[in-house]
Amino acid sequence: MSFQTPQSQVVLSGHGLVKYYGDVVGLAGVDVAVRSGEALAVMGPSGNGKTTLLHVLAGILTPDQGEVRLGGERVDQLNDAARTVLRRRRLGFVFQDNQLLAELPADENVALPLMVDGLSRRDAIGRARAMLAQVGLAAEAGRRPGELSGGQAQRVAIARALVGEPQVVFADEPTGALDATTGSQVIDLLIGAATYRGAAVVVVTHDNAVAARCHRVLHIVDGRVSEQVGVVR
Amino acid sequence: MNPMTDLGLRFIRRPGPGGRAANLAALGATAVVALLVSFLIAGSLGLSHRSDRIGWRSADKADPASAIGAIKLDDEQRVDGHRLTVLELAVLDVGALRPNELAPPPGLDHAPKPGEVFVSPEVAKHWSSLSKEYGVEHPTGVISAKGLSSPEEFIVIRGVKTIAASEHPQYVSSWNDDVWDSRMLGLLIAVAFGITLVLFPILSLVGQAAGVAAKRREHRLAALRLAGATRAQVLWLSSVEQAVLGFAGAVIGLVGYTVLSPLIARIPLGGGRWYVSDITANWWTVLIVLAAVPVLSVVSALIGLGRVSITPLGVVRGQTRKRISVLRVGLLVIGPLILAYYGMQAALLPVLIGVGFAALAVRVIGPWAVQLIGKTLANLANGPVALLAGRRLADDPKGAFRPVAALVLSGFVTGFISVFMPPGDDNPSFHDMRIGVALLLSLVFLTVAASTAAGAVGTALDQAAPARALRRSGVPLSVIERSARVAAVVPVIGVGLPVVGFGALCGLALSGGKVLTDGNSGVLLLIGQVVAGLVLVAVAGAAGAPVLRKASAN
Repeated sequence: MSFQTPQSQVVLSGHGLVKYYGDVVGLAGVDVAVRSGEALAVMGPSGNGKTTLLHVLAGILTPDQGEVRLGGERVDQLNDAARTVLRRRRLGFVFQDNQLLAELPADENVALPLMVDGLSRRDAIGRARAMLAQVGLAAEAGRRPGELSGGQAQRVAIARALVGEPQVVFADEPTGALDATTGSQVIDLLIGAATYRGAAVVVVTHDNAVAARCHRVLHIVDGRVSEQVGVVR
Repeated sequence: MNPMTDLGLRFIRRPGPGGRAANLAALGATAVVALLVSFLIAGSLGLSHRSDRIGWRSADKADPASAIGAIKLDDEQRVDGHRLTVLELAVLDVGALRPNELAPPPGLDHAPKPGEVFVSPEVAKHWSSLSKEYGVEHPTGVISAKGLSSPEEFIVIRGVKTIAASEHPQYVSSWNDDVWDSRMLGLLIAVAFGITLVLFPILSLVGQAAGVAAKRREHRLAALRLAGATRAQVLWLSSVEQAVLGFAGAVIGLVGYTVLSPLIARIPLGGGRWYVSDITANWWTVLIVLAAVPVLSVVSALIGLGRVSITPLGVVRGQTRKRISVLRVGLLVIGPLILAYYGMQAALLPVLIGVGFAALAVRVIGPWAVQLIGKTLANLANGPVALLAGRRLADDPKGAFRPVAALVLSGFVTGFISVFMPPGDDNPSFHDMRIGVALLLSLVFLTVAASTAAGAVGTALDQAAPARALRRSGVPLSVIERSARVAAVVPVIGVGLPVVGFGALCGLALSGGKVLTDGNSGVLLLIGQVVAGLVLVAVAGAAGAPVLRKASAN
């Protein structure tokens, strides 16, 4: 499966991004832009800045130099509280080991970000169940993460990332803990469901099969973009 | 050196992420345990030392024919607002020995002859106001520390020729026999009773201290299993780590007790302040603490690790936790029934068993009640804070109850004691009881503070990974912290308050339904418990919040 690069507006961009960890250079001047409905894979050797780039673009870390814009708004100039709200309302996240809350059933895990944003429990659970149905887990809504398979748990995490209608979904090694078949299903679901809604997807991965499902691949080496590959087929 | 022992020692030196906070919490909690155990042992020995010096004064079972002395006590008089004990002593002829050939009573340089007056140093200071009454310008001698219960004791020992039978003299067979002073004996029984009440909070604290450190090493243990170590080897490694932490905590606790001894000696229990030497930990107390605290820590850690299966693929906990049976509630009736059956006339042991059983019931039923409350809270929640807190409580009620178990048990102790608070007159026994209650509650609250703080650190470390993910996803730290606080407060209020009532019920069962408390002291005690409980939860929150904040940061 592959995707055509969409010709839509840039939703997320980073220009001249530099990030230091003490004396260690995390990012050494990265420029990147992602369009609505586009899936971008970020690849490269371990410890070369992939996750740092994801965290900077997502407003989890602030860059030491450069700027990050989401829909034209400067993210890097927002304070921590504003970036927290921005992540909650406009971004979605999928982590390698799903990071679901073990004590909450699937529907409550998905509903939680909505409840944090002030939606009533009833409405939040309703939307969460609808989203779980879209990722094929309607029957598992009442189960806790420990009662789900790895693939199912990751689909719950995708539902949680998408339930708030985000502009961008960030995924850090989303298939890293899954077998090849399940991983393939999960990445198709993630990219398919997100881009169908017009959201951009930024995936950090080591897996060529995952990258092959994205529109573009960005290679990061020593904190710099070494190569950009468009339209993967 | 055994490679696992070597590795365990290395892990102590380099604890890894989160390990330093966990080890410090465990060390602090273990030190508090050691301090409390030192206090309980050395304090009990202090009672014995004091009794050794003054036990002869309350001896009354000697045969008059073979007695070496007859005494009469009077404590109605007051000097400068202090109760003065006047002891009239008639030294008796014993066979060939004449009175002046007898060894003197403790603290006196010779056995007092008729008309001679020996006084304590405190009385000596006020002698000018007493000299007329006793007919001597200066006392014959000042009683040394070897014959006083307390450095501030007010006592006069006056030599008399005889004490008339109509005045009901008590007869002394020896100045140094093993007879316990009645007041010290009463206190010793109260200490045994207090130890029963404080035992569960202390054991809970030991478990908490061991647990918080053990949690940090679960992943390392799994990695070791992956590297080929057997289960026995990883348990040995844990034991080494825990033993070192326990020993270090014991040393800190003993040093802390020694430093605090002069302050502890100022507690006016059992007739006044104490000589520091009375309550100084002797060498075998030190040995007991240095051995018992690490052993208890190791056993607690091994029990904790026994609950999880350490496999090469990680530490696997049961995904579907067992439901807690409602049958546990049946335990609630056993303790009160034992207490009601034996009542106030019972020997000490059945009463201790009854109280112990009631405390055990609280410990066993606590998690069930927490689970029930958690489910209710989660089902009724309309916001993320209550939902998270409720699910957390319902998912792991034992884990949720563990940090607050000591606090809940202190509620039981307070409820129990509130029925027995004596009236506010200056009866020495009542005075001792009031001081004893204050002391007992201080011990319990100290235990509780350490336990809840250690528990909060452990919980914060446990929740670090999901909390980090939540923060990255845009959930404010305040929501995570508030849910942690609610999860800590709800068991305290939801279980603690009913347990105060249960404690009072057990007290009433023992007293046969009578409230022996005079005035509002019982109510004040209960209010104090609630206030202290809330303060301690705040303390625990203060201990856990920075750890959670740091551990969940990116």
